[in-house]
Amino acid sequence: MDTSNPAVLVNGEVIRRYVGRRVRCVLKVIRGDGGILQGETSDGQQISVKQAPPAISLSQFVEVIGIAENDRTIRAEICTNFGDKFEMSSYNQLCQLANSEHQSLFI
Amino acid sequence: MFGMQSQSDGGSLFSGGGFMPSQATQVNEGGFSSVRKSGTATGLLPLTVKQISQATQKPSDENSNFTIDGVDVNNVTLVGMVFNKEERVTDVSFYLDDGTGRMEVKRWVNDAMESAEMADVQNGSYVRVHGHLRSFQNKKLVNAFSVRPVTDFNEVTFHSLECIFVHLYNMKVQGGATQPNSASPVAKGPPTPFSNTPSHNQFMSPGPVSVGGAKDLNRMVQSIFEEPANLAIEHGVHVDDVVRRLHGFTKKQIMESIAFLINEGYIYSTIDEDHYKSTNG
Repeated sequence: MDTSNPAVLVNGEVIRRYVGRRVRCVLKVIRGDGGILQGETSDGQQISVKQAPPAISLSQFVEVIGIAENDRTIRAEICTNFGDKFEMSSYNQLCQLANSEHQSLFI
Repeated sequence: MFGMQSQSDGGSLFSGGGFMPSQATQVNEGGFSSVRKSGTATGLLPLTVKQISQATQKPSDENSNFTIDGVDVNNVTLVGMVFNKEERVTDVSFYLDDGTGRMEVKRWVNDAMESAEMADVQNGSYVRVHGHLRSFQNKKLVNAFSVRPVTDFNEVTFHSLECIFVHLYNMKVQGGATQPNSASPVAKGPPTPFSNTPSHNQFMSPGPVSVGGAKDLNRMVQSIFEEPANLAIEHGVHVDDVVRRLHGFTKKQIMESIAFLINEGYIYSTIDEDHYKSTNG
């Protein structure tokens, strides 16, 4: 068992608290050009993803796991297609719960 | 099953789950729950790897159950990503990473169907695992009996939310444990999302419990119907009499309580829509 390197669930609001750390974030793909992906977080903010796979291979929603370089940029390690139907509002509430009173269950 | 129900009042999502451990068993002495022996919990708990890493076990006994939030852990369900998958002749093992941590999962493979199921599981893909939590050489691992690829990714959100919900529920039962009303009758009539006997549902205490402040009112209303004098009246108690007895509540609130108690099978209507009687009478 290893819980030393968790990936924190984040939205656009929470990511600023975890700059330099490993995060995971579901984004709605806006566009991708030259390895940089632009996506919208569950709370409606725009984030750039470095080292993303080409946009053509991505579904509408993508989960990015990687390092938060700053509060607007993630350097991707893993991108997972989350399909074209994903409830962003539920995910956003989960982000809030998982980073407040119930944080102990996650990190 | 994730959030599709319109009146998704917490517990109703989980009602009727035959696999749920009877939480009541550990908290309440007496009642029907005493039929079950304590320590033989057979439940299914949704957990994160982080929670499992904090599970405790009697230090002397490697075969004893783990405990999380004061509840015996036997069967668990997790959702996460597969890494380092290794296939051997008799088993397939991998690390499951759910973002909170990583742990080993082993699936014994006995026949072609099972190996076909495991062939679908690839590194980097999300899966839902059902399995048995155990420790082997002081390492915790899950002996899986089902590993299925996630196809609707709302399940990932759902699993985390369910972990929070079940954690909260178990903490609540531990903390403010409500003793069951010794007079609680078994719910009669067709099952409603609320109706449950303790052995069927981990998430609801065997009393007239609803959420928040309504719960106290439900109890007060029920106790009026349980009074011996009122049990003796053949056609039961008039709603207005109940309203008169309980100061500070509107008739609407009391009617909601009555509706709840009817759903739960504690009371039933008698001669007309205004008279109700305890099923215990």
